[in-house]
Amino acid sequence: MFHGACSLIFESMWARLFNVGVESAPDSIERFTDTDRIAFGCPQFNQKKSMQASAQIAFDDASFSAFLASRQEPEWLATQRRQAWQAFGELDWPNRSHEEWLRTDIRMFGLQRYGLDSSPPESVELPQPQLAAGIELGGATVSLDSSSVKSQCEARWQERGVLFGDLGKLVSAHPEKIQPHLMRRAFDVNYDRFAALHGAWWSGGTLLYVPRGVVVDEPFHAFSAITDGGVDLGHTLVILEEGAEATLLSETASLNPTAGGMHCGGVELVVGAGANLRYVNLQDWATGVWHFSHQKAVLGQDANLQWTIAAMGSRLAKVNQHVGMVGPGANCQVNGVMFAEGRQHLSYHTLQHHEVASCHSDFLYKTALQDRARTVWRGMIKVDPQAQRTDGYQRNDNLLLSTSARADSIPGLEIEADDVRCTHGSTTGKIDEELIFYAMCRGFSRREAVRMIVTGFFQKIFDRITIDSVRQALGLAIARKVREYD
Amino acid sequence: MSEFVKVCAVSEIPDPGKMTAEVDEAMVVLFHLDGQFYCLDDVCTHDGGPLGEGQLDGDQIACPRHGARFCVRSGEALTMPATQATTSHEVKVDDGQLFVKIKLT
Repeated sequence: MFHGACSLIFESMWARLFNVGVESAPDSIERFTDTDRIAFGCPQFNQKKSMQASAQIAFDDASFSAFLASRQEPEWLATQRRQAWQAFGELDWPNRSHEEWLRTDIRMFGLQRYGLDSSPPESVELPQPQLAAGIELGGATVSLDSSSVKSQCEARWQERGVLFGDLGKLVSAHPEKIQPHLMRRAFDVNYDRFAALHGAWWSGGTLLYVPRGVVVDEPFHAFSAITDGGVDLGHTLVILEEGAEATLLSETASLNPTAGGMHCGGVELVVGAGANLRYVNLQDWATGVWHFSHQKAVLGQDANLQWTIAAMGSRLAKVNQHVGMVGPGANCQVNGVMFAEGRQHLSYHTLQHHEVASCHSDFLYKTALQDRARTVWRGMIKVDPQAQRTDGYQRNDNLLLSTSARADSIPGLEIEADDVRCTHGSTTGKIDEELIFYAMCRGFSRREAVRMIVTGFFQKIFDRITIDSVRQALGLAIARKVREYD
Repeated sequence: MSEFVKVCAVSEIPDPGKMTAEVDEAMVVLFHLDGQFYCLDDVCTHDGGPLGEGQLDGDQIACPRHGARFCVRSGEALTMPATQATTSHEVKVDDGQLFVKIKLT
């Protein structure tokens, strides 16, 4: 798209997708053409991309065939990828006539700017992980630009049948464990074009498999990083068999805090009957990164899931988070922490789907915004006709730290059963000046006062997080971001 | 600090007419009206709608979503449901070429 500061680039695809273009006034001849969307400026960006262009694999048919050949994966997986790639070719990019994308503008995203890096840097200094400080881990994975650079699982857990590590490698070594779940129930490649892209091209990522009845009392840690302009297509698959228990801490970061890049990812959490999963996902990409993710958990009978999401980074994030309760008695608690600043746009779409009776879901998202940031939270509790005695709750609170920030909050209910308790709520407001005044009267600076109030705003979520290191990391990350309140 | 960026030849936008463009990572709408050129953010301040897809009516552009009208010359919000102006960017013509300077906000 960017092609020097002064040249004219035509891109027919985007014009068709978004119906943008040259138009005359009503009394003149209209002309919409395929050659009308143009992009200018940003020479710095051009420079970075041109330096990397030789090492990148574009997302096209020829590259896809070469990519498949290079993977040497089982045939069932290659077939799965081909089907996803076919879906990618058949689907259009989402546009703002779709309800989900009404408030999220991706016209400036261009897939052709990105490609898988065929030769990621051999030695770089990775950012310090935030979630795993001071805790004993059961295993850890690290990836850079979708390539695994570390994959380790403690022997004591391997001996008990636990699999943890790079999904790309483990999928060939343990297909019997992975094939029944990978992109079956918890990921739909036909959902939209980003899902299809991910289904076809996913690489790297993390697998956690815990066999029946095994309780892992040490968290696992997965860390994904990207270089400037890099791409992460990592896929996370967690399989907990009946009665198993585990914790996975997952986080992302960029090498440069203002860099660009793209993440197009997927998360699948398959929690068996009576199993217990704690999953934490901290998204802390640089402020130039496009982040698209489809995330879904499927809970069996009496399964428990505590899922904590922290969205801090990225230029634009569009995330679908879905919990499907398919076994009676399933229970999930989802905690969302979002902090947006600058011109960030974070769009989270949640679905708590009660498919059977007697399940409990509790979603709480808290968002703080400053500068000209914008967030969109759209939540839905869906209760199927047979899902009697459902107990569902969803809430989104927004704290506006500047007059030019904007939060769209759209909670929703879709209930087809008649014996349910479903409640939802949303609040949006700014900090009460009296609170700030009160704190300043007691010796705090204005900034300290605001920081304290913002931390207090998130406290209800922190209280729900049972992992100390996560609570501390999120508290620090938020405190670092709070600036002077205007 | 933003600088003037060449966008297109002035002849590419009919008078009256409009064209959407991406300039310095901002989506904008360029207007050609009575021989003058104007540039606004391609964003309705009510609901983020794409102004460039709206109807141009004299010196007003109507958001295609909810009909909020904005002054093409200044970006001022003229009708509900929009209440805040959309950003207006500086435009200049030099040697038959149109240049835009993105206002950083």
